[in-house]
Amino acid sequence: MSASQAVFSGWMEIPETAAHDRDRIQAEEATLAAMVSQYAGALYRVAFSVLRNASDAEDAVQEAFLRVLRHRDTLGEVRDQRVWLIRIVWNIVLDRKRRAKTRPETDDVSELARVLPSSGLTAEQIASAAQHHAHVLGCIDKLPVKERQVLQLSAFEELSSVEIAQVLGITESSVRSRLFRARNLMAGLLNHSRSLR
Amino acid sequence: MNPYSQNASGQNSVSATVDATLRLVANLPAPQGIEDRILVGLRTAPRTARVLHWPVPLRSSTGAAGSWMRSAAAAAIVMVVAGGGWGIYTHVQPPQPNRVIVMPQRMAAPGGFSSAGAMRTPQTLNGPVIAQPAAASSVQLKPLKKAAAHPATTPPRHPRPVATAKADAQLSAPPAQ
Repeated sequence: MSASQAVFSGWMEIPETAAHDRDRIQAEEATLAAMVSQYAGALYRVAFSVLRNASDAEDAVQEAFLRVLRHRDTLGEVRDQRVWLIRIVWNIVLDRKRRAKTRPETDDVSELARVLPSSGLTAEQIASAAQHHAHVLGCIDKLPVKERQVLQLSAFEELSSVEIAQVLGITESSVRSRLFRARNLMAGLLNHSRSLR
Repeated sequence: MNPYSQNASGQNSVSATVDATLRLVANLPAPQGIEDRILVGLRTAPRTARVLHWPVPLRSSTGAAGSWMRSAAAAAIVMVVAGGGWGIYTHVQPPQPNRVIVMPQRMAAPGGFSSAGAMRTPQTLNGPVIAQPAAASSVQLKPLKKAAAHPATTPPRHPRPVATAKADAQLSAPPAQ
């Protein structure tokens, strides 16, 4: 090794060569893998409830974990990883939904018919149920944004009203009042559509 | 059943319908192998940019000393950038104002018309005039007038004006004593 190479290697050492850095990276990867196996399903369902498209929801979950990877140095400061991750994926999903407004909506009926439980039901019943759910989801889409978000998150049994408030960045009383308003609006919308039939 | 309770029961049924649909969507099972796909995506994702570490002798200083070194390095970078900018600012001369000779404005011709590029020439004196005797000049004009008065008549081949003949006679005659 020449003198210049020795100086160069002494002054410009790459972090991966250090043993403690390697251990740190391995520990981070293990933590991340545990988070993926624990929360990927829940994050996917949150993403799907807004996007209603399987591939888009999976992309959103992937992007959420990529963001976690970028900020892995701050993982130790996170108190509730589950709510933190749901908040990340929620923001991603809302951003995607906003950007995808110009694109045509995905076919909710066919997507729902694919995922509906089909045990003991005929194909006609499944199609009818899918149409009914699609109609309800269409009414939900007509709600104001604030009420719609609370209503969608309230469907997740694992999320309490306090956690919904943390995800949305509002108070718990706001969550309750918005949920009450959303249910009233939904009742009006569904009754109106029934009277039109 | 009063209308309020009927309305409330109607709202309850609606909310049950809404809840059933939302729960159905919310409880959908995640697709098979999503965790593996996400992990593969995370492994292939580009890591953050490699940062050159501090030199080995300086790396031992940790904590406050390390942060002090970082601040000093940042200040040095700022100084270099600011010094370079100042050097450029001081070496570049501001543009000189253009030296322009202001031409006097051309006066318009009186009367509102332009000269159309015509050059004014000074009036010069008339050239020398050869003086001729008045009689000769008056005599010489007569046959011309006659000729003009009688254009049809054929003029003589060599007309001899009368005045000329008289003058010849006077010149040939001896002066009277």
